Amino acid sequence: MDPQPTHPGPFDPAGVEWSSVSPRLVPARLLVVGIVCAVPVVVGALLAVLLSAPWWWLLAGVPAAVFVWSCVLVPRQVRATRYAERDDDLLIRRGIMFRSLVVVPYGRLQYVDVEAGPFAARFGIAKVQLHTASPATDAAVPGLPPAEAARLRDRLSERGQARLAGL
Amino acid sequence: MHDPAPTDPALTDPALTDPAPTDLTPSDDAMPSDDAMPSDDAMPTDRATPSGVVAQDAVPKGATADPAAGLDWRRVHPVTPLVRGWAVLVAVLVVVGQQSFGGVVSGDGLDLTRYWVQVLLGVVVLLLGALGISALAWRKTSFAIDDDSVHLRTGILFKQQRNARLTRLQAVDLNQPLLGRLVGLAELRLEVAGGADSAVRIGFLRLADAEQLRNEILARAAGVARRPDAAAGVPGHPANDGAGHASSAGHAPSVATGPGEAPADPTGADAAMVDAATADAVTVEAATAGAAASTPATPAGTPGLVPGTPAHGLGLAVEAPERPVLELAPGRLVWSLVRSLPFVAFVVGVAALVGVAIGTRDLSIAYAALPAALGAGGFLFSRFSGEFGFRSAISPDGVRLRHGLLESRAQTIPPGRVQAVQLHQGMLWRDRDWWRVEVNVAGYGVTSESSSVLLPVGTRDEALTALWLVLPDLGDAHAREVLDEALVGSGPGERFTTAPRRARWLDPWAWQRQGFAVTGTALLLRRGRFVRSTVVVPHERTQSLGLDQGPLQRRLGVASFAVHSTPGPVSPSVAHLDERDAAALIDAQAARARRAREHAGPEQWMRSVLAVVGDES
Repeated sequence: MDPQPTHPGPFDPAGVEWSSVSPRLVPARLLVVGIVCAVPVVVGALLAVLLSAPWWWLLAGVPAAVFVWSCVLVPRQVRATRYAERDDDLLIRRGIMFRSLVVVPYGRLQYVDVEAGPFAARFGIAKVQLHTASPATDAAVPGLPPAEAARLRDRLSERGQARLAGL
Repeated sequence: MHDPAPTDPALTDPALTDPAPTDLTPSDDAMPSDDAMPSDDAMPTDRATPSGVVAQDAVPKGATADPAAGLDWRRVHPVTPLVRGWAVLVAVLVVVGQQSFGGVVSGDGLDLTRYWVQVLLGVVVLLLGALGISALAWRKTSFAIDDDSVHLRTGILFKQQRNARLTRLQAVDLNQPLLGRLVGLAELRLEVAGGADSAVRIGFLRLADAEQLRNEILARAAGVARRPDAAAGVPGHPANDGAGHASSAGHAPSVATGPGEAPADPTGADAAMVDAATADAVTVEAATAGAAASTPATPAGTPGLVPGTPAHGLGLAVEAPERPVLELAPGRLVWSLVRSLPFVAFVVGVAALVGVAIGTRDLSIAYAALPAALGAGGFLFSRFSGEFGFRSAISPDGVRLRHGLLESRAQTIPPGRVQAVQLHQGMLWRDRDWWRVEVNVAGYGVTSESSSVLLPVGTRDEALTALWLVLPDLGDAHAREVLDEALVGSGPGERFTTAPRRARWLDPWAWQRQGFAVTGTALLLRRGRFVRSTVVVPHERTQSLGLDQGPLQRRLGVASFAVHSTPGPVSPSVAHLDERDAAALIDAQAARARRAREHAGPEQWMRSVLAVVGDES
């Protein structure tokens, strides 16, 4: 299923069982991209037709191309987004071109947010955002079903309490 | 989130919901009645126990039940609004002045008189109004401390009660703005790492009061609840003398005469720390014992001891003895600024402007470039005035830093509060081997830049001494060698793992500097060839870890590693490591950080020392 090479690279620590996020994240993200792209496409097309000036099609064409490219990219990105709960920390992996891995110790969690925007809620997904005392911690698990998001949040809070340390 | 105390004190604080302005009365009344009743044994017992360790355990139950009860609320100095608001006052006067002088030109005699009367009336009304509001605000501002938190009440219409937990205390600063210095007032600033604007500012107070309050807060945060009447029973002098004697007899030479050697000898350094701390603990014990002796008829728990407490509630805590460690000479500060990039840019820029102006006989270019020159000059001056007279000292309460030309600041950073340290060397400092040491302390954030400086400029030995102040034990028998390699080393060394040769495509200059080393207590990251930088992160202060890899990096098989630290000038990261090294590092570092956290000392830093002393005696 995963088209990416699965040889043990730096983003595949040994003995980690990854969980995938919901595939419903794909339409949710594409919808947002689509709405953002639709405005210049419509405007460009209208102007091109009304003014019969063909270079306005460029204004419509570029966002359309971006949207098509997103249709290819987003499903792969979503498949590449994974998380794993280890005994003492949570791992989050993201990206294909620009990959990143974040290790967040439970004892370092200050608070956990569960967020769902209007589109995400419609598609039945939510995002769990982790906050430590460091603003550099860019740790979020997007695209979780609400029940799983709530479970993860409770589990993180519970483990955070158990392993709580000072700053 | 883990705070057991009620997060919204307004809900539980009857004094706040009470609209009557006599907000000091209930607690004042409550206090003696509590103390006078022997049957109500919970509060008096907690308060009167001579040993802070026992009292600390017992107090929170009573304190969390009703945070406002039994507190001795105090007010800040009445001059506070003037010290805080003088700038606003001046601004109002200037605006009014400008407006009215504009009017002078176009008015004739009668109109003019009437105009001036109106203006004066307006100003008087404005000032009276401001005075009234200020007085009311002052009346509504009060603070109190108990054994586990500091309370601050402010606000006229929108009341706020801030409750800072002492176990979360990150730093205590004593600030004196210029006007405050002239009239002898100081503001106490408690950093508790709650994000922007979370500091508790108590002020202004008379300098001596502010210092006493700071000592009291630090003593309580350290877990040594020095009872005020204990200190009163034994005046501060014998205690201070005893401690001074102990420390000078002990390890003073290791700091005073050979600062460079101190980091190289972690065990000695560590011993010195413990020794200094022990000395203080002993004085505390002595003070307590002395108090007990001076009041033999009142054993612990008897209400008879208590009435001394609410009378002043704070103050009279013995200041922890401190030993001066480093002092920055003004000459070196000036030279270090002259040898900095902003100064060079400033001089070159000014010279170019003058040249252009003379060459073209046109001053408009010079005017256009004036803001840039002013900016650079302002930066240099703020550096100079902020870091003027920089002195650091070590005490059992942590590192003490004092600096400032116009606005003076005395910071205390308790042990274990430094999240990351950076030693930094600009290009023009190389031949002198000067370094600048900056730290991340939760609560200081990025805005208060001058607070995060541990040493503005110093030789390598001095910089390593500054590092030793906050990280006495590097966990390596050859600490000096490791640090030398971290500061100026290049290429893979004995201890450093560096970026592979193929990383030169991405980082042609500094790839040999990019590297990391691990010691028993800290992770060392180094980078930069022309502007050298070394970052030290204690294992137990790691927040989270990150690994990043872009497409080019993937092609070359390298990855960048970062430790996420609290906000501040230090951002620990190392780029373009071999991806296997990076993967091994992130895995091992997560485990090391976990182990270090499990063995981390208590938040109340004196507790471990007291435990040691208790075992020995």
